[in-house]
Amino acid sequence: MKDILKVSDLTKSYGGKQVVKGISFSVKQGEIFGILGPNGAGKTTTLEMIETIRPIDGGQAILNGIDVSKNPQKIKYIIGVQPQTPAFQDKTKLKELIEMFASAYGEKVNAAEFLADVGLTEKADSFVETLSGGQRQRFSIAAALVHSPKVFFMDEPTTGLDPQARRNLWDLVEEIRKKGITVILTTHYLEEAEVLCDRVAIMDDGKIIALDTPKNLVKQLLAKGFKKKQVVEQASLEDVFIDLTGKALRD
Amino acid sequence: MKGMFKKLFPVGVFAKVSLNRYRRDPLALFFTVVFPLIFLFIFGGLFGSGGGVSFRVALINQSNSDFANNFVQQAKDSKVLKVDSGINNLDSAKEKMKRSELDAAIVLPAGFGATNGKAYPNGQAQVVYTQNNQQAGQTLVTVLDGEFKGVNAKFVSTDVPFTVVGEQTNDQSLKQFDYTFSGLLGFSLIGLCIFGPVNVFPELKRQGVLRRISTTPIKVWQYFMSNVASQVVIGLGAVLVQFLVATFLFHLNLVGNVLELAFFITLSIIMLLGIGLAIGGWAKNARQAAPLSNLVVFPMMFLSGTFFPRFLMPEWLQNVSAFLPLTPVIDGIRLIATEGKHLIDLGPQLGLIGIWLVVVYFVAFRVFRWE
Repeated sequence: MKDILKVSDLTKSYGGKQVVKGISFSVKQGEIFGILGPNGAGKTTTLEMIETIRPIDGGQAILNGIDVSKNPQKIKYIIGVQPQTPAFQDKTKLKELIEMFASAYGEKVNAAEFLADVGLTEKADSFVETLSGGQRQRFSIAAALVHSPKVFFMDEPTTGLDPQARRNLWDLVEEIRKKGITVILTTHYLEEAEVLCDRVAIMDDGKIIALDTPKNLVKQLLAKGFKKKQVVEQASLEDVFIDLTGKALRD
Repeated sequence: MKGMFKKLFPVGVFAKVSLNRYRRDPLALFFTVVFPLIFLFIFGGLFGSGGGVSFRVALINQSNSDFANNFVQQAKDSKVLKVDSGINNLDSAKEKMKRSELDAAIVLPAGFGATNGKAYPNGQAQVVYTQNNQQAGQTLVTVLDGEFKGVNAKFVSTDVPFTVVGEQTNDQSLKQFDYTFSGLLGFSLIGLCIFGPVNVFPELKRQGVLRRISTTPIKVWQYFMSNVASQVVIGLGAVLVQFLVATFLFHLNLVGNVLELAFFITLSIIMLLGIGLAIGGWAKNARQAAPLSNLVVFPMMFLSGTFFPRFLMPEWLQNVSAFLPLTPVIDGIRLIATEGKHLIDLGPQLGLIGIWLVVVYFVAFRVFRWE
């Protein structure tokens, strides 16, 4: 698989303080790539530089052969963006918002189709402020994909969602990948990265400190002689929760 | 050509959606349509009723002659005199005059209107007024003097070699309300074009709505243009409502060409909206937007002739205020709507609006930020 995104030596400073300290990585076409890290590690800033929202201070990002800082307008047409807290204007129907976002790319679309993809058919005439958190995230995904982008950026898509909504979103991300769209997401939920991502970069303090498949990362740790204090159970508390409350969405 | 249409496509869709959004927003409807109407009713009530002069007077009749009683009755029916019938002695009249609740008191002394030994009724009425009410008092003396002359002529025929007669021409001069109306319209346009975006944009930024839009390829000019398009529709609608109310309830005399007026108001809305887009587009939050918008709007509100005509100001202030963006708007609306002027006659107004148009949009594009 060829690389669709190549980031080299990317830096960003705010008020003299460097928050992204020269990171390099590449993302293969069609993979789900995770950027993992604690709050303040620089995940969002990294994403926003590649998304053209923030100017790149130093280094380079090449997306689908296009230099992000040299041709941001071209980049916008081939990426889909889901910000951390998706915000849409109030008193506007979902189908109107879909049409609006499509028009921004010069496209006229059938809004119902996109809403059906994320299970919001019945909400087509509702306003965005009436949606639950999970519905809002799903709608935000639909709005970001109206122009069939090549790369889809998701910034902490499952933060604040209940386990049912989170699992539903994972399924959705898999669906998106099946359509051939490369997904780059940030998260601080480790099991999310483990379940969803083909490869993850672990970021801390503005630097990438590890990058590999989740399995390999665990292997490397075990190879160093790491042992959990507790014997690993075959199920976690979350598995218990899902078993008791079911997988059905609650919104 | 096709490329241009493609670029205008998102403008149309965004404008349509924001019109729908406006339709669903009772608060926005209130501030653009109802709020200006409240001012219209207040000022229409002040100036609308005929526009004639009247005096608030006390009538103190100390005579019991038929002539005096007749005079009192006629005064009560008169449109010029508003008789305060609760007063029957000079002291309480004086008390009310001190508080400016009365303009003057007319005293008919005992024996007024009786024959008093002569062949016809006679007597001298007194008009009492305070120092502060000299003008009203003296005018009232003149009015009564004229009335009495007419009465006198009936009793004693006299030969009058020189007379003067006033003749009203057919040209309708501007009623006070006509003058005020264009100012009120200007006031409502400010609310719509400046306070609207100044309130809305920082809020959209706070929620991150603009930021989300900025990730799409839409350009600032396209976003601005969609705003302009929807605001022009809303503005013309709001203005139409005000014209209808002013015409049917307060007898506004609209003499100008409606299409020319619509064109002029559209141009004015676009220009004034540029001010709102510049302030709202620049401000990061409401705390930045509010003081700046007040700084820009208040001078215009008071100096451009919204609530009182500019000709009442000292000359130097007239010269300065002539260049405020709102002044040519209000003047132009008045010239077309109530004086029947045409766009061709409005060179100075159109020129000034054109200059401001360039200036405000130049600034608006430079300072705009999506978050």
